[in-house]
Amino acid sequence: MSRHSLETKIGAVTLRNPVLLASGPAGYGLEYEGLLDLERIGGVVTKTISFEPREGNPGTRLHETGGGLLNSIGLENVGAEVFFSEKMPALVDAGIKPVVSLAAEDWEDYRMLLDATAGTVGVDIIELNLSCPNVERGGMAVGTNPELLAKYVRHAKDTLPGMTVLAKLTPNVGDIAALALAAEEAGADGITAINTVVGMDIDLAARRPVFKRIRAGLSGPAVMPIALDAVWRISRTVDIPVVGVGGITSIADAMKFFMAGAAAIQVGTAVFYDPALPERIVETLEETGIPGPLGDCSRMKGAG
Amino acid sequence: MKGLFTGRIIRTQRLSPLSHLIVFERPRGFPDAAPGQFVSLRITSTITPLLRRPFSIMDLTGTELHLLVKVVGKGSDILAHSPCGAEIDIAGPFGGTVFPSPEKKDAVFVAGGTGLAPMIFAARTWKRDRSLGRADLVYGAGCEEELLVSLCGEDFTAVHSATIDGSCGFEGDAVALLEKLVEEGKAGGGILYSCGPTGMVRAMAGRAAARFSRHLTSLESVMACGVGACRGCTVPVKTDGGTVLRTICSDGTVFDASEIDWERWEE
Ligand SMILES: Cc1cc2nc3c(=O)[nH]c(=O)nc-3n(C[C@H](O)[C@H](O)[C@H](O)COP(=O)(O)OP(=O)(O)OC[C@H]3O[C@@H](n4cnc5c(N)ncnc54)[C@H](O)[C@@H]3O)c2cc1C
Ligand SMILES: Cc1cc2nc3c(=O)[nH]c(=O)nc-3n(C[C@H](O)[C@H](O)[C@H](O)COP(=O)(O)O)c2cc1C
Ligand code: FES
Repeated sequence: MSRHSLETKIGAVTLRNPVLLASGPAGYGLEYEGLLDLERIGGVVTKTISFEPREGNPGTRLHETGGGLLNSIGLENVGAEVFFSEKMPALVDAGIKPVVSLAAEDWEDYRMLLDATAGTVGVDIIELNLSCPNVERGGMAVGTNPELLAKYVRHAKDTLPGMTVLAKLTPNVGDIAALALAAEEAGADGITAINTVVGMDIDLAARRPVFKRIRAGLSGPAVMPIALDAVWRISRTVDIPVVGVGGITSIADAMKFFMAGAAAIQVGTAVFYDPALPERIVETLEETGIPGPLGDCSRMKGAG
Repeated sequence: MKGLFTGRIIRTQRLSPLSHLIVFERPRGFPDAAPGQFVSLRITSTITPLLRRPFSIMDLTGTELHLLVKVVGKGSDILAHSPCGAEIDIAGPFGGTVFPSPEKKDAVFVAGGTGLAPMIFAARTWKRDRSLGRADLVYGAGCEEELLVSLCGEDFTAVHSATIDGSCGFEGDAVALLEKLVEEGKAGGGILYSCGPTGMVRAMAGRAAARFSRHLTSLESVMACGVGACRGCTVPVKTDGGTVLRTICSDGTVFDASEIDWERWEE
C-alpha cells in the first residue's frame, strides 16, 4: 500500500509531518525517551523559555478535573542560555525538529530573548507564547490586546529575518479570530490555537481554592470543542496556516482538527497518559492522508 | 530504560477494608527496578480518571510485580477492584534516584500508610543481595485494621507498630513512636529510610532524624508526566547558592531529607 506523504509547510519550514508535541507537556523533548518515538513525529514545541530562568509558581501545580487538567506551573524553565546551549542541541542531535517556544515578562525582556534567539544556529521556527494564563506579567496580558500582539509579532519578524513565526493565542478573549487577524497582518507565518482555558477549583475540605494563584489553565478533553471552534473560526479568517491544539486525545479528534481547517496539530495533555498517541496519529495519516478541510457549512441543515 | 508495558493481574488480595495487594505478571521486557522507583498506571482507557496514577513498586521478582493499593478515590478504587486477568497499561519504572543500600549497617525504616510499599521493596531487595543488616520497621497507620503487618512478616528484624487511635501497638503516629524508640536508646545511629505522608516526613526531618547518620526519604506529589517534563511535581532542594527546584518523579523520588527546603515547600 502506498503511504501518503505528510510533509507540511509552515512559513519557510517543512515539517516531516503535521503532528507535534505541545509546549509544556513536551518538556524539552527527551524526557519521554523510551515512551514515545520522537523521530516519528513532526516536531516538538519545547517548553516555553524566558530570557532568565523562571522558578514557576509555588503550591499545587496540577489538579485533575472532569475530563480535564488544571495547571499552574507558571512557566518554570531553564532560561535562554541553558536552553540554547544544552537542551536544544540535545534535541537536534536526536534527530528531532524543535519549534522553540518563547515568552517574555515585558518589552525589554522580549528584546533580549529575541536577540539571544537570533544568535542561535538551528532555530528556524519559533512559537510566541503570548497567551499563558499562569503568570503575572507578559503572557495573556499581551495576547489579549491586538495592538500589543501585533507589536510583538512584528518585532520578531524584524529581528529574526527568515524565521518562521507562529503566534500562540489564548481562548480567553471575546473574538480569537480578530487576534489571529492582527497577528497575520503583523507578519505571523502561522497561528497556534489554543493555549489553556482559564479555570479554578476549590478544595472542599480545606475551604480554599486549590491553587495559590486561584485561577489556573484548563487543558485536556474538556477543552477540545473550544479549541476546535477556535481553529474553525481562525482558519476562515486568515490565510496563514493554523496549528490546532487543545484536548486532542484520539485519532478521531486529530482528524476533526484537520477538517476544521488546521494545517498541523499538537498533542499536549494526552501525552501524559498516552504517549504513543502522536505516533498512532502519524501512522493513520500515512494510511489515509491528511483529511481536507470542510467547505462552507453555513448553509448546512440546522446551522444557526 | 523506562518503557510502556501491559501488565496482567494474576492475584489480588484484600488486606483491609481499604488496602489491596495487586500482583501483576511481570511484563515481558520490564526492566529491573530499585527501591524508591514507581510505576504509573493508566487505569482505564476512558477519560476518567484522566491522568496515570503513580504507585511505588513493592516487589519485583523475575515473574511478578507487586503493588500496594489503598483506595482514596476513583482511580485507586477501580485498580483495587480489578479482577484477575485484567490487563493494565503500565509505564515505568520511573524515578531517577533510588534508596542506597545500608551495606549491612543498622537501618531503621519508617513507613506511614502506603509508604510501607517502598520500605518492603527495599528490605526485600537488600535481603536478596545480602546487604541488609539489622532492620527495624517503625510503621504507623490510622487503626488496627489498616495496619498491614502481615505483609511484611519476614522482611524486617523487628516491627514497631503505631496506630493513631491506639487500637494496636503504640498510640500515636510513626514519628512519635520513632522518637520514643530513640529516647529509649532502641534506635539511632544508622541510616533512616522513610516514606509516608509529607507531613510525617516533614515532622521527622525536624526532630528524630538528627539521631541518624542520614535520612533518606521517598516523596510523593500529584503527578502528570512522571518523567520530569511537565514540572508539576517539584520540591525545593537546598544548594550552595540557595534553592533549586527538583522533580519528585525524575530527580527523586528519593531525597536526602536534610537537603529539602521544608520551609519553602508548600504542597
Ligand atoms: C511516587 C508515588 C508513589 C505512590 N505510591 C503509592 C502506593 O504504593 N500505594 C498507594 O496506594 N498510593 C500510592 N501513591 C498515591 C497514589 O498515587 C494516589 O493515591 C492515587 O493517585 C490517587 O488516585 P485516585 O484516582 O484514587 O484518587 P483521586 O480522586 O485522584 O484523589 C483522591 C484523594 O487522594 C489524593 N491524592 C491524589 N493523588 C495523590 C498522590 N499522588 N499522593 C497523595 N495523595 C494523592 C487527592 O488529593 C485526593 O484527596 C503514590 C504516589 C506517588 C506520587
Ligand atoms: C502542564 C502544562 C504546561 C503547559 N505549559 C505551556 C507552556 O510552557 N507554553 C505554552 O505555550 N503552552 C503551555 N501549555 C498549554 C499547552 O501547550 C496546550 O496549549 C494546552 O494544554 C491545550 O492542549 P492539550 O489539551 O492537548 O493539553 C501547558 C499545558 C499544560 C497541561
Ligand atoms: S510529574 Fe511531570 S515533572 Fe514530575
